[in-house]
Amino acid sequence: MTISVWRYSHLALAVSSFLLLTLLSVTGIILAFEPVTQKTQSYRADGFSQVTLAQSLPALRKAYPDISELTVDANQFVKIKATDADGKNLNAYVNPLTGKVLGLPKKESEFFETVKSLHRSLFMHETGRAVIGITAFLLMLITTSGIVLIVQRQRGVKRFFKRIVRDSFAQYYHVVLGRISLIPILIIALSGTYLSLARFNFFDTKKESVKVDFDNIKSTPERKPTEIEIFKNTKLSEVESIEFPFSEDVEDYYTIKLNDREVAVNQITGDILSEVKYPKAVVYSNLSLDLHTGRTNMIWALVLAVAAANILFFIYSGFAMTIKRRANRVGNKFKADECRFIILVGSENGSTYRFAKAVHQQLLKQGQKSFITELNNYAVFSKAEHLIVITATYGIGDAPTNASKFASLLKKHPQMQPVHYSVLGFGSHAYPDFCQFAFEANNLLSQQAWAKPLVDIHTVNDRSPQEFELWAEAWSQQSGIMIDALPVLKIVEKHKLTAFKVSSNTASGAAEGTFSVRLKTKRRQKVTSGDLLAIYPANDHRERLYSIGVVNNEVQLSVRLHENGLGSGFLNRLAVGEYMRARIVQNEHFHFPAKSPEVVMISNGTGIAPFLGMISQNQRNVPCHLYCGFRESASVNGYQAVLDEGKASGKLMHLNIALSREGQKQYVSDLIARDADFMANILSAKGTIMICGSLAMQKDVMDVLDGICEAKTGKGISFYQSHNQILTDCY
Amino acid sequence: MSRLLKIFILTIALAFAGRTASVAQTNKYKCMIQMSNYMGDGAYIVISLIDSKGAYEKTLYVLGSDKKWYNSLKEWNKFYKAKPANISAITGASVTGGDRSVNVIEIETSKIDAGYKIRFESAVEDKKYNVSDVEIPLTTESLGAKTDGTGYIRYVRFSAN
Repeated sequence: MTISVWRYSHLALAVSSFLLLTLLSVTGIILAFEPVTQKTQSYRADGFSQVTLAQSLPALRKAYPDISELTVDANQFVKIKATDADGKNLNAYVNPLTGKVLGLPKKESEFFETVKSLHRSLFMHETGRAVIGITAFLLMLITTSGIVLIVQRQRGVKRFFKRIVRDSFAQYYHVVLGRISLIPILIIALSGTYLSLARFNFFDTKKESVKVDFDNIKSTPERKPTEIEIFKNTKLSEVESIEFPFSEDVEDYYTIKLNDREVAVNQITGDILSEVKYPKAVVYSNLSLDLHTGRTNMIWALVLAVAAANILFFIYSGFAMTIKRRANRVGNKFKADECRFIILVGSENGSTYRFAKAVHQQLLKQGQKSFITELNNYAVFSKAEHLIVITATYGIGDAPTNASKFASLLKKHPQMQPVHYSVLGFGSHAYPDFCQFAFEANNLLSQQAWAKPLVDIHTVNDRSPQEFELWAEAWSQQSGIMIDALPVLKIVEKHKLTAFKVSSNTASGAAEGTFSVRLKTKRRQKVTSGDLLAIYPANDHRERLYSIGVVNNEVQLSVRLHENGLGSGFLNRLAVGEYMRARIVQNEHFHFPAKSPEVVMISNGTGIAPFLGMISQNQRNVPCHLYCGFRESASVNGYQAVLDEGKASGKLMHLNIALSREGQKQYVSDLIARDADFMANILSAKGTIMICGSLAMQKDVMDVLDGICEAKTGKGISFYQSHNQILTDCY
Repeated sequence: MSRLLKIFILTIALAFAGRTASVAQTNKYKCMIQMSNYMGDGAYIVISLIDSKGAYEKTLYVLGSDKKWYNSLKEWNKFYKAKPANISAITGASVTGGDRSVNVIEIETSKIDAGYKIRFESAVEDKKYNVSDVEIPLTTESLGAKTDGTGYIRYVRFSAN
């Protein structure tokens, strides 16, 4: 929840001050070049930093008996005020050791003066200064809230400089540049605020002048200026200004103004007549001015210019992001209570919303009554038949802001009628907790009595069009309502079909039962077990997907023949030697894990197909444990050869078969419950559990596994799901 | 010939004498303005010569170089507008609170001890304007003493240059 508080304040602050911030950034960039232009004309004497007052003052007084004042500016140029040989006023930069004139002070550039006046008071005097001060303060708050947002986005202070996931140009560079220029911007804001407050006397910056007790001024012992202690110990670089004695009279003295204090020195004896320390606020004000203007350091001035330019970019990119986010808000044509289709969205920055909206529009276009809303608006939907949950995950597997209340709302508002649901998770494998909230939502839904799974949970990595399409096809197939993924993705992609030659078909001609089809690809085709084969039995948009097991370099499908089944009927009729056209759909989330130390495979019925292929392809002999469920022992026969070969070659370590209609009448989930300790050990040891088969079986197995996880590992099952340790591909 | 030469020399001598007579005799003084510790921006100060009737006669020195603020020195500005003069040679920087400024000003000898006054007029952005922060009679005596100010100026001191 806190994320939205910070984001809203970040946005609200930015909206309230962006006009002024734009003006201040532009003028600030210009002003940053003032010190740069000044520094390039060098009136700085060589070895300046070593010069003491004892060296400089006598020399200057000798060269200019009339010298009244010396100032050292931010560029470390020494400027004096004296009279020249003609008795005229002389104002010049000099060499502090010889008194040689190095240059005359130029009149301050009118251009910079005007820009400066605009920058600090908008030409509105005190009112303007107050407005600018408030703006500086707002910038400070914006920066602070920005820091918090980055910490939350990166999930921890320690991960502050870790890689940033790229959503869009504006978002990516807003964060990347934000991290880099955050420190200079914070300094600009802080020093600007301080200067404004100091200007309005919030701090005690009143300098007390030295008070000299004239009755106690002594004129003996006389000391040479070169031997006066304080002159020897004070470097010119520490000095802000020196007022020379007005006359030779003993009552006239030196006033030396340093960064933090003012000292009066007897011109004859060198005694310190009086010393006044400035309030700390004066020192801070000077520091703020140095930091805010970059007057002391050219490089810092350039850093400030870049930081100011960044502020301009933040204003642009921040609004670009906001506008994009706003554009994703959609209106509903129908009321929630009259809709058959309810689309619930969990989206943090709006990109997931785009997909959900497109699905919504597809449904509306087909005359379906569809309602789209945030997961946090979950309620009782009296006419709902289908619930589509499309959600991203935020932070460490957390719900996005607009989905944070879903879990509690789901418990509170059970639907009155049975509703089919489908969960589609958006996420990125760049984060370790991939789609964890989607898995959680799916698990929560599966526990509701009214909720019936329509298709298994699908995930989309990095907005992959293929993965989105996979879900759209699966959902269309099950619901009978076509969702065309193409307009959603706005990608015109024609499916390229490949010819496959049927090399064997175990179809027996019986009216039902299971059979296997093996296909040979004509050309070299990139395919592996776990991928899907999409077939078009009627040569139209209707597509059917089958899990592939690659056995002996051939694509093997295991099919249960359904009465009037479009796909199964088509495959059943295929004769050996015949060609068929289909395409391979990469299904990476259900490939055999590349790094897993141990793999458990759980299937029922034809769900064994991908596992047969995986066992056959298990060249590295990764320990594999197959748990498969069938109705009767006869069903196993078709797979026996491959399984025996796997066991013999060490590719398959254990085989456990549950028969539901013979012998002990077990389900595969019973076997899992029996081997609870083993399952827990596999997960703890970073092993993988893969499940393929019917959704009913998946639900039973997941319930059992969830219980095992809670009891034995202390972590919820969604933890393992999000870490890719539990992979499912069910239908 | 020698007569002609004499006339010529005499003419030149007279011309020179005339010219020297037309250029008024002036004295240079160092003038030190010590500011009080007021809070705010640098003060604009103008030093003017005031005749016995209290009218402005001449601008002696201006502390503050940005013409845009001259209207804040109201009374002097009227005079300056009415009789514009080139003051660039007698213009210096403004002075901030607590600081001191020493400048050389030229005063015609004939004006001393002749009923004239020297006026220090001061103004600070968004703060009070002082028509006469310091006003001293232009006498030999006062040019050697210290005079306290009533506004932003703590005191003023002169010394012969």
